[in-house]
Amino acid sequence: MRYILRRLGFYLLAAWAALTLNFFLPRLMPGDPAAALFARFRGRLGPEAMQALRETFGLTEAPLISQYFTYLGHVLKGDFGISVAYFPSPVLEVIGTGLVWTIFLAGTAVIVSFTIGTLLGVVSAWWRRGLIDTWLPSTLVFIGAFPYFWLAMVVLYVLGFTLGWFPLGHAYGDDMTPGFSATFLADVVRHAVLPIATVVLVTLGGWLLSMRNTMIAVLGSDYVNLARAKGLSPWRVVMRYAARNALLPSVTGFGMALGFVLGGSLLTEIVFSYPGQGYLLVQAVRNQDYPLMQGIFLVITLAVLGANLLVDFVYLWLDPRTRGSA
Amino acid sequence: MHRELAVSFAVLVIVLVGFACVRDVPYAPEGVLVVSQEQQSSWVRNFNPLTTAAAARWPTLAGIYEPLLVFNSVHAEHVPWLAVSYEWREDNRVLRIITRDGVLWSDGRPFTARDVAFTFGLIDSHPALDRNGVWGFLSGVHAVDDRTVDFHFERVFIPGFDEIVAQTIVPEHIWSDIEDPVTFPNENPVATGPFTEVRLFRNQVYELGRNPRYWQEGLPRVEALRFPAYPSNDRANLALVFDEVDWAGNFVPAIDRVFVKRRPEHHHYWFPLTGSTIFLYANTTRAPFDDVRVRKALSMAINRDLLVEVALFRYSRPAEVTGLSDVFASWPKPEIAEEANWARYDRARANALLDEAGLGRGADGTRHLPDGTPLKYEILTVSGWSDWVRASQVIARDLGALGIDASVRTYDFSAWFQLVLEGRFDMTLGWSFEGPTPYVFYRWLMSATTVKPEGETSTGNWHRYGSVAADEALEAFESEADPVAQRQLGLELQRIFVTEAPAIPLYPNPSWAEYNTSRFEGFPSEEQPYADPSPNKFGRGETLLVLTSLTPRRRP
Repeated sequence: MRYILRRLGFYLLAAWAALTLNFFLPRLMPGDPAAALFARFRGRLGPEAMQALRETFGLTEAPLISQYFTYLGHVLKGDFGISVAYFPSPVLEVIGTGLVWTIFLAGTAVIVSFTIGTLLGVVSAWWRRGLIDTWLPSTLVFIGAFPYFWLAMVVLYVLGFTLGWFPLGHAYGDDMTPGFSATFLADVVRHAVLPIATVVLVTLGGWLLSMRNTMIAVLGSDYVNLARAKGLSPWRVVMRYAARNALLPSVTGFGMALGFVLGGSLLTEIVFSYPGQGYLLVQAVRNQDYPLMQGIFLVITLAVLGANLLVDFVYLWLDPRTRGSA
Repeated sequence: MHRELAVSFAVLVIVLVGFACVRDVPYAPEGVLVVSQEQQSSWVRNFNPLTTAAAARWPTLAGIYEPLLVFNSVHAEHVPWLAVSYEWREDNRVLRIITRDGVLWSDGRPFTARDVAFTFGLIDSHPALDRNGVWGFLSGVHAVDDRTVDFHFERVFIPGFDEIVAQTIVPEHIWSDIEDPVTFPNENPVATGPFTEVRLFRNQVYELGRNPRYWQEGLPRVEALRFPAYPSNDRANLALVFDEVDWAGNFVPAIDRVFVKRRPEHHHYWFPLTGSTIFLYANTTRAPFDDVRVRKALSMAINRDLLVEVALFRYSRPAEVTGLSDVFASWPKPEIAEEANWARYDRARANALLDEAGLGRGADGTRHLPDGTPLKYEILTVSGWSDWVRASQVIARDLGALGIDASVRTYDFSAWFQLVLEGRFDMTLGWSFEGPTPYVFYRWLMSATTVKPEGETSTGNWHRYGSVAADEALEAFESEADPVAQRQLGLELQRIFVTEAPAIPLYPNPSWAEYNTSRFEGFPSEEQPYADPSPNKFGRGETLLVLTSLTPRRRP
């Protein structure tokens, strides 16, 4: 219990530090939202507009430190302000539009990639120098080495344009009415296949390799030899003795990956016109949209912290040694 | 900025051109015009025509709502719209505007001059809405009767006319009850424009149906506008190439090969040079750029033919020495002697001018100031704006041949813009300001009233040049209501610019417009140049001219 409380205290501190950084970092960037918007028009907006823009976005001359406390107060009340890039929508609403799709898209991709990659890692470590072990890791690493942007474009071109098997973008067809009908869900899946497949394709190699390498180390250890000597079934040795222990580093990686899911897979979302979080973040940075940046960063931070907390608990279950220190 | 991904797009294009694939394209229903102007991953439902231009969806300013007069930048003239006529009264201190009779708001209530007076009053009480700065010169706006509205000026300021008539008008009976018009998203607009009915709004696509009560009989012939959300220029371009979009305003690299060649009978583009002129700004508060001979020499050293070819796929032409774009094609041009034209490429004369200015060459061939400081400068530009970066590279090379050690320095956009606003640069690329008359353009290039000291933010005149002669001409322009006399003053301003060379014009920006005539016809073209073809020209209502001229083709 003490262990859990200590972890919780640590996470609270981390959350505060993140909130503070979220506030100050965007403001260290040169320029302000009004200038960013003004310049986007490249001369089509007269110089007089700048003052109106400053008024609109409520840019004040108040000292940064007092702005900081106002911000903290608002955040505690759950008020994240109004977005500049998507004026005048409240930040929470803007984030809400992208969040669902990002969680679905990137979340599925991470889980699928982790599951398949780890299983393949186990398989290739067990049958070392087998057909899978010889070809799969090198092929996947080879594919993973391509710039993702390029790979996704080629996949989109071949499967989307030339063959027409998959839609070219968006999360569902323009003519669909969102709802829990079978046709709509089928459409969502059809639209998600290419983005998820490309992400899985390039990340699979990493999971596979990390699992395979720890597995090989674990398979050489004394307790695995003992288990084999006892005459346990190979299945039991692999799954209960080796894989469970070899999983620990991968679980950490999985927790991190899960946390970063909410940051959105920027390139995926751009190539496949997917209405997610990553693109919102780029828009926020481009427009110097402080409130939106703060909101998105906060969501990412909370997600990473939450995922870590989860990993901590999973560790308690996977590794009895951590329970000893509790 | 929408050029960032041009390179990666070009790579894809090479793949595309090799194939000619037939694909089952999901066309929009007949009569629905698919437009791509904004690049967003998802739409926010905002149709507020008074707040900042970029916040509301594209058709809000010219499509849903309408201005008093529409400015046609190809013919350089105002077209009567919600207002039918105007006159200057009381020694040009009052502008009287007569509004159109028989216009209805889309909810059936009549549009009157009182709506106009109300709109301006609303802007007065909310400075955040005063996009064009009209309350910097107005003192009051009053409706005389249902069709007449008087604008009282604080001082005589004729150029204010352009800003007043560009204002979009909102209905008093709706907006008088809005608590905060600045953050009001106006989800179901009541307006006078051709497209007012939101038929569909989702985060990936929305549709605007035609206004059943539109004041132009039988118009618009287009049944609805559809806007799919494309997050990047590449994605929008692909949609264009594959006939999913009917009208777009994107930058398309190598357009003849990529777009036109795919379907020459229906894929068209027209890029009139009506955008703002791109300049090389040298900081005139710093030596040696305070010397007019040096500025002219810099200009003459630049090979603009090469520059437009390298930087802009030949979409533009070298700028004229007056700096004016084709918006002012109908304005009279001054006679400029061959040797006075410092926008012509002439390295020998450039060298001679620098010698004359006392900037001798050192042993290594680099020129130096009289006190011995070598001429070593950075040309600032924005990383990712590949056209500007390439243009800067051409300039740096040309200046190098002149004995000036110039290098290109790219900055992230915000960092660059802050340096420019505060005048902390030696040389930078930059745009200029557009307007119906050369007044705004020249005011922000050479009026002493716009000069701020280095380090202080200045929204225009970044090179900080003030000219006494220009101020006199600009002042005369402010009180000249007669169009003929205005053109004479425009001539005078051009002469001053050519004499003093405050900044170095490079090329006029094209107005990007691509269109597909397989489903609609009537787009402006080089053969039928009735208006600017670009959907980007919405600031002064010009896209209304196009929207009301398009006709759906009946499918055979």
